[in-house]
Amino acid sequence: MSEPRRITSEDLALFAMQLLPPEEMAEVAAYVEQSEDARRELAEIQGDLAAYAHTVDMQSPSAQARERLMKQVAREKKAIPIDRPVEAADSSVGSEGVAATEGFGRGAGSIYSSEEELPKRGFAGKVVPWVGWAVAAGLSLVAGDLYKQRETLRSAVTEQASRIDQLTADEAAARQVLDAMTDSTAQRVTLNVKGAPPAVPQGRATYVASKGTLIFTATNLAPLQPSKTYELWLIPAAGQNPIAAGTFRPDARGNASVILPPLPKGVEAKAFGVTVEDEGGATTPTLPIILVGAAG
Amino acid sequence: MYRETGLVNSPPPSGQDDAALLALVQRGDEYAMAALFDRYSKIVYSVALRVLRDPAAAEDVLQEVFMQIWRNPDGFVATRGSLGGWLAVVSRNRSIDALRRKRPTESVDDIALASNYNLADEAERNSLMEKAREVITLLPVEQRKTLEMAFFDGLTHSEIAEMTGDPLGTVKTRIRSALTSLRKAFPA
Repeated sequence: MSEPRRITSEDLALFAMQLLPPEEMAEVAAYVEQSEDARRELAEIQGDLAAYAHTVDMQSPSAQARERLMKQVAREKKAIPIDRPVEAADSSVGSEGVAATEGFGRGAGSIYSSEEELPKRGFAGKVVPWVGWAVAAGLSLVAGDLYKQRETLRSAVTEQASRIDQLTADEAAARQVLDAMTDSTAQRVTLNVKGAPPAVPQGRATYVASKGTLIFTATNLAPLQPSKTYELWLIPAAGQNPIAAGTFRPDARGNASVILPPLPKGVEAKAFGVTVEDEGGATTPTLPIILVGAAG
Repeated sequence: MYRETGLVNSPPPSGQDDAALLALVQRGDEYAMAALFDRYSKIVYSVALRVLRDPAAAEDVLQEVFMQIWRNPDGFVATRGSLGGWLAVVSRNRSIDALRRKRPTESVDDIALASNYNLADEAERNSLMEKAREVITLLPVEQRKTLEMAFFDGLTHSEIAEMTGDPLGTVKTRIRSALTSLRKAFPA
């Protein structure tokens, strides 16, 4: 028969970090259960490990992590224990009964032996004492229901408030992007290779067909007569007629943009083009096409 | 009649101690739960992130550890020591389990922990961090590296011995010595 292995504080440290093989973990666990000194030493080691854990570089979890936790907490709302008035009523009645019995000079339990000896009570006398308890029980149920409703509403309000905050933040960011793109005072700079020939009119369209989202910017456009306007056209890949995607006039420096014009969703683009039309725009493009670009 | 639920409808004061917050959590107080999260989420997340090196996985551990408190606040009793320390160790153990892709060890959270620090207090928490970091940087490199491999990387002493070429006994002694140095820095 082999001698049991001596458990050292080194073993306890490895045990605390769960780094021993399963059979050794079991062996040390059994030893710790038996030995008060081992338990004390193990607690010290856990304290050392807790201190060591605090040497880690501190990082904050995302705000969503907190939101996620609180949502889960709300989902797993605890049932707050409530007293049970019906039981309380039973016990009260019991003790009152005993007191009444004693008042009539009888031994405990004799109240049930001869009902005839008790003072007679009419129907109202029998029912009225229970009405209070029934009302209390009813109120308790109503209160319970109201509490549940209030908690549900509170949880919903918290969730909605959080959602509103998020949407507000998203909206503010989107608004800022749009403002920057449409602001007439914004500086628009086209970068070219140094020494390149003078820039020619140029347009850049960014289009998401599935959402019907289009952002178009143009630079170096020639000025137009007051009665004319530039018009952007989406040329569908499926061969339908060109779709008008908004009119625009360049500013004094030849810059212009069309941001999120109303377009049908799901129309794949073959190309985009820009024409000059009469003020107010046209339903079909008028040649010549000033700018054209095939969708990649 | 509903029992008095204390601060159920109002946020608990930030200075409330852990035991009081846990008592409120036991009664279903979500504000108390949020207060505990605000107090300790950083250390729980940081430890998990150090072990797992993956923010999403670390947030999963964070969620799991705090939901455990919500579901079973009795799982930690004050006699076991500091809640902050307990959470840090539990976060490490859960993360190692996740790293090994195994189910949480059943007894993993049954940790009694001796600590002289009141980690509910932010100043004390910061002081512990600074002091512990200082001790660790002063350790011999081999001790520091060995403890790191064991605690944060979850490598067994055999694995560490294999990787470093050191004898098993040396690895065990280094871990123990590093922890002893830490303990000496925090006298009872």
